Amino acid sequence: MTTTLLFQSLVLGVLLGGLYALLAAGLTLYFGVMRVVMIAHSAFLILAAYLAWYFNEQTGMDPLLSLVVTVPLFFLVGVGMQRLLITRLRPATLTMMSVLLTFAVALFIEGMIGFVWSGTQRRIQLPYSGESLNFLGAQVAVVKLVAFALAALSLGLLYLLLKHSRFGLALRATIQHKEAAQLVGIKTDRVAGFGFGLGLATAAIGGTALSLDATIYPSLHWHWIGPLMAIIVVGGLGSIPGAAVAAMVLGIGQSLLQVPLGTTWAQTIFYVALFATLMLRPQGFFGGRLAQRF
Amino acid sequence: MSPRMTPRRHPRRALAAVAGLSAAALVLTACSGDAEEPGGGGSDDPIVVGISLPLTGDFSEPGKGVQRGYEAWAQFVNEDGGLLGRQVELKILDDQSNADRVVQDYEALIAQDQVDLVFGPFSTRLVVPSARVAQEYGMLFVEPAGAAAEVFEQGFENLFYAAPAVADDHYNYLAEEILAMPEGERPQTVAVASMDDPFAQGTAYGLRDKLAEGGLEIVVDEVYPPNTTDFSSIAAKINDSGADMVIGGTQYQDAVNLIVSLQQLDYQPKLAAFSTAPTNPEFAAAIGDKTEGILSPTGYTETATWPSNVDFVERYTELHGNPPGEDEANAYTTGQVVAAAVEAVGCAEQGDCQQQLVDWLHSNEVDTVVGPLTWDETGKPQGAHLIQQYVDGEIQIVLPEDTKEADLIFPKPEW
Repeated sequence: MTTTLLFQSLVLGVLLGGLYALLAAGLTLYFGVMRVVMIAHSAFLILAAYLAWYFNEQTGMDPLLSLVVTVPLFFLVGVGMQRLLITRLRPATLTMMSVLLTFAVALFIEGMIGFVWSGTQRRIQLPYSGESLNFLGAQVAVVKLVAFALAALSLGLLYLLLKHSRFGLALRATIQHKEAAQLVGIKTDRVAGFGFGLGLATAAIGGTALSLDATIYPSLHWHWIGPLMAIIVVGGLGSIPGAAVAAMVLGIGQSLLQVPLGTTWAQTIFYVALFATLMLRPQGFFGGRLAQRF
Repeated sequence: MSPRMTPRRHPRRALAAVAGLSAAALVLTACSGDAEEPGGGGSDDPIVVGISLPLTGDFSEPGKGVQRGYEAWAQFVNEDGGLLGRQVELKILDDQSNADRVVQDYEALIAQDQVDLVFGPFSTRLVVPSARVAQEYGMLFVEPAGAAAEVFEQGFENLFYAAPAVADDHYNYLAEEILAMPEGERPQTVAVASMDDPFAQGTAYGLRDKLAEGGLEIVVDEVYPPNTTDFSSIAAKINDSGADMVIGGTQYQDAVNLIVSLQQLDYQPKLAAFSTAPTNPEFAAAIGDKTEGILSPTGYTETATWPSNVDFVERYTELHGNPPGEDEANAYTTGQVVAAAVEAVGCAEQGDCQQQLVDWLHSNEVDTVVGPLTWDETGKPQGAHLIQQYVDGEIQIVLPEDTKEADLIFPKPEW
């Protein structure tokens, strides 16, 4: 591997890692707040990508503008989903049943996308799709840079919201100790609903970022859910900083491994990391200490 | 349920009802000749052709092209009086680009629906399993898109590929052209990226191996899974190699993604060849009209003067508002091949007739929109593909010399 290719792969890995971090943020929120394993998260990502594509098709405008509609819409859907579906699950078996329930939701969304837009593959063609900037000898695609910037901005805002708002305080308290939070007057059910809504709002942003430089089709979410689950397990379930760090490490790792190993084998880094984490440190590398600290 | 509605309380009445319904069904069946001959064996019944196509999923774009070709063939045959004087009816199922699904589809079409004839699906990955089903039922299996070498290594005796050449030979004219260039002018290094798909690899590797034998150096040789969506690392590797030429063993969407990724890295090869995708009408728009100089092999050109092609292009253009592409033409050719055998033998139904159709095709030449076709015992056609290139924004035949519409552009302009 030449130095140029190494640096190029590193830059691509950082951009990919940023996108992974945004896509995984919602997953770790659901688990942190409610102990829900949200298999349908990646299906919502693809739905958001389709909405961004459809918006672009119909109006010719930049798909990023669709966020004005999709972010509040997905937030409301998230709140509604938590109220109508998740709260109906028995607390004792919540985590396990949430896998089955959200698996069904994922299938429903996939079917709905196929019904509305057919199974044909779609790709957004933007004026800047083939454009790139030179960064210290590496070529950086403008669409990837926009997606990365969107991810960094969203995760920054999410961090500030969780760190410096009353809602964020209540959410963190709920994550740390639900019963204690209830004792001090926090309405944990309402917090959980907002947390779920927030998770789906990140899916709206993540899906739109994904749509800028990817070909989308209804079943694409199955391709994503595995790596995203691996990221949140490696990072530590419920830890957003953990997910961000794991996303970055695995994104860069995948990109670097792709050169000597090829595309097929580079993908296995997620499963090797998942296996190793579950064997060596089941709570994840940032589980526990960092998860409680945010 | 109330006790009055429980059948056990009135066994005689229930039995009588069942017997009555059965008798009625028998009478209706006896009155209807069609019910005993589901495939439509009567002299006035339509000839039903069963087809499964990838109308959704990975191969949906070319799959729809094949559908348009089949439907055009059926419409034109019916307008001209039908086949053996009978109308033709297509029964098309969507296999979702799934090899398991395509097997179920052909099983259902042949065994349950009792169709008279079957036409093949799109893509080697779907042709091989479906041809196996057709062989089990003794059906003639002419297909428009199974060009990889492995199709002809399975021992199928009922299969015929309705195109001029198999995948390995698609780029023969281009390989000859490159190797005939003076040593100092021709490309020295080659990067290959191919989908893990027998057809895509067949086209790319046919060219790769001929160039390697001619002394060119293969500096990148990547394989990616069919569901790959991010091509940035593969593109980075190709760009870093600085290869003079890139060969994409591609279907449609992966070619688009790979080319966009290469453009994002500002990689500028002297030659760029991608199988199948450039023939798709959506291709230019999908890569932002940066097409100049891109090469691909094709078994078909709308400007070919074969008698049936002139008629096909005129009628197809009238029907759709644009001329047919390669996928449409290959599907139409499939129809022509089967029709020639049916007209010659004088039958089109399951059973002994199918073997007569197979035998006839093994020993005869058929005139089609892609030229006259003959096959060896494995069903492999005995020809070569044309090479086309985007020249001044239009895709044109550049090789071989005797059929070219424009001169080969070398080196390729920047994209």
